[in-house]
Amino acid sequence: MKGFDPHFADLPDYILKITKEIWEDRGIATLHRYYGRDIPMRMPMGMTVGNLATIDGTLATLAAFPDRQLLGEDVIWSGDEDAGFLSSHRLVTTGTHTGFGVMGPPTGRSFTIRAIADCFCIRNQITDEWLLRDGSGLALQLGLDPETLVRGWVEAEGGPERAKRPFTPADDIPGPYGGRGNDNEWGQRLAAILQAIMDKDVAVIRRDYDRAVRTEHPGIRGGWGTAFAEAEWMAFRSAFPTADFQVHHVIGREDPHQPRRAAVRWSLTGTHDGHGRYGPPSGAPVHVMGFSHAEWGSWGLRREFSLWDELAILKQILIHRG
Amino acid sequence: MAVTDGTPPPWESPEGFILGVTRRIWEERRIASLTRHYARDIVVRSPASVVVGNAGVIAATMATLAEFPDRELPGEDVIWCEAGPGAYLSSHRLICWATHLGSGAYGPASGRRLRYRILADCHVRGEVIDDEWLVRDQGAVVRQMGLEPLDWTRSQIAREGGPERCVKPLTPRTDRPGPYGGRGNASEWGARHADLLQRVMSADMAAIPATYDRAAELSLPGHRRAHGHEGADRFWMSLRAAFPDADFTVHHVIGREDPGLPSRTALRWSLWGRHSGWGMFGEPSGAEVYVLGMSHAEWGPRGLRRDWTLLDETAIWRQIVLHKGDA
Repeated sequence: MKGFDPHFADLPDYILKITKEIWEDRGIATLHRYYGRDIPMRMPMGMTVGNLATIDGTLATLAAFPDRQLLGEDVIWSGDEDAGFLSSHRLVTTGTHTGFGVMGPPTGRSFTIRAIADCFCIRNQITDEWLLRDGSGLALQLGLDPETLVRGWVEAEGGPERAKRPFTPADDIPGPYGGRGNDNEWGQRLAAILQAIMDKDVAVIRRDYDRAVRTEHPGIRGGWGTAFAEAEWMAFRSAFPTADFQVHHVIGREDPHQPRRAAVRWSLTGTHDGHGRYGPPSGAPVHVMGFSHAEWGSWGLRREFSLWDELAILKQILIHRG
Repeated sequence: MAVTDGTPPPWESPEGFILGVTRRIWEERRIASLTRHYARDIVVRSPASVVVGNAGVIAATMATLAEFPDRELPGEDVIWCEAGPGAYLSSHRLICWATHLGSGAYGPASGRRLRYRILADCHVRGEVIDDEWLVRDQGAVVRQMGLEPLDWTRSQIAREGGPERCVKPLTPRTDRPGPYGGRGNASEWGARHADLLQRVMSADMAAIPATYDRAAELSLPGHRRAHGHEGADRFWMSLRAAFPDADFTVHHVIGREDPGLPSRTALRWSLWGRHSGWGMFGEPSGAEVYVLGMSHAEWGPRGLRRDWTLLDETAIWRQIVLHKGDA
């Protein structure tokens, strides 16, 4: 790959190897090399700029979960060597809570959650990023009640008035990547499915999903069949029925010996004005950053992995409620 | 591939036939069509029993549907190979869900919700299934009904009339030959999967990191899920550790490369020998045990990416309990 170190065979190889090098092999300092000095990183809990912030964040996470493993399940990518690549990387992360950190004193419990990172990669560096992990799934596996945990964070940060605000589009600092993905059919299909669901055309799930579909959603909620997927999406959309849904980035891929697959980054912006997954309507202004990955088989969409950070949603609601 | 000779094929493909017949019989209640789609003298082998003839299959189907009337069983995959003119061997992976709405073999209706997998190898000629091997995740069913597999197995033996009269599990001694004697197809992927299991069963555990993707996802007996090399190592180690001297045999291997799909494999294998080690089944009992196992896999650019392996824990406990005579 032009512009990349010679020991990287292709983009997925680059992503998987540097992930392991940085987080598992303790090459935290290599972030100076692999992450741009001014990299904007958008996470649901807030935005950071620059690799020094990334280094500190990485160290803090590893201190709380020293045995954390990051298993890369898929890299769904677009772009090329000249314009740069966008990698949408889905990981299974596992570890044991043996250290102090944002999740509180060590619980000794272990966890397995998913995370997705969209990274812009050019000339051997990551210079733009969107990242989220299943925060509520992590809390639940550590035996922590998500709402209590987030309430604790709000208090520790000085109460509802002064607590650090989760990410909203107004906080965004544009980075070097301005692409929207590629034109592959399967990416367009996933974007159309998500758009239909958000337009309350929930029947799209029975039309386009395999009867035996496996769906993985935040809060480590997973299940089989179209009924599970329908119930999940309805519970989510019902909490923010009037919010504005936007698709930001769409990748589709057809690679030999692999299923057709897609990666979409999307958001919901609006008000928590419905009864749904997140309790009685609070009127809180809410921004939800979302990622969806999908695979198709012979009979429709067969695996759906969607993530949003429910802790960031709870934080926006709790701050608004005061 | 033409599945019928001469007459217009009602099923466009083996996948269409297997999914269609399954839905027709078990969900659309056309149970009587078993007489058409199951050969009269079919041998159905599952770890718990060897059943001969479609009459037995019909009776068992009705008993299951009386107890779990809303049962659905969508097919996750059909991995098949040709088996001579107009015939094929289908390895079908199903995910089932059902509610315990009727009283039956699991006691009074409890309203409990079940989710479990089945792997079924069927030999199909035309539109008739005439030979079958089936592993249902009975350990998952029993646990989700709120019971422990060993306790349930003991009470099941008692219900069947005690150790002398109870149904005998599948072993090479109770097995019956059927019309299908094939071994699968020749495929690089199938060979790779078979080699993995052969190496693991020879205690060459390094085959796991060499073959599995490091983010592999495993769906295991008892409806358990595991990830990565560690997850794979734990499962295979604890299985082999329980039967360290047993003969391991791979009976059937299919590999497929279909456009737009990952390379997939389907294996049927067995362990046959003494329960002489500490492992998945506790204290060594010395029981002679036959383990029928089935595995499906999807392969990605970095190795074996998804593994579905089933064996019936309760059929293994049954052999242990019958040996110890503490039923």
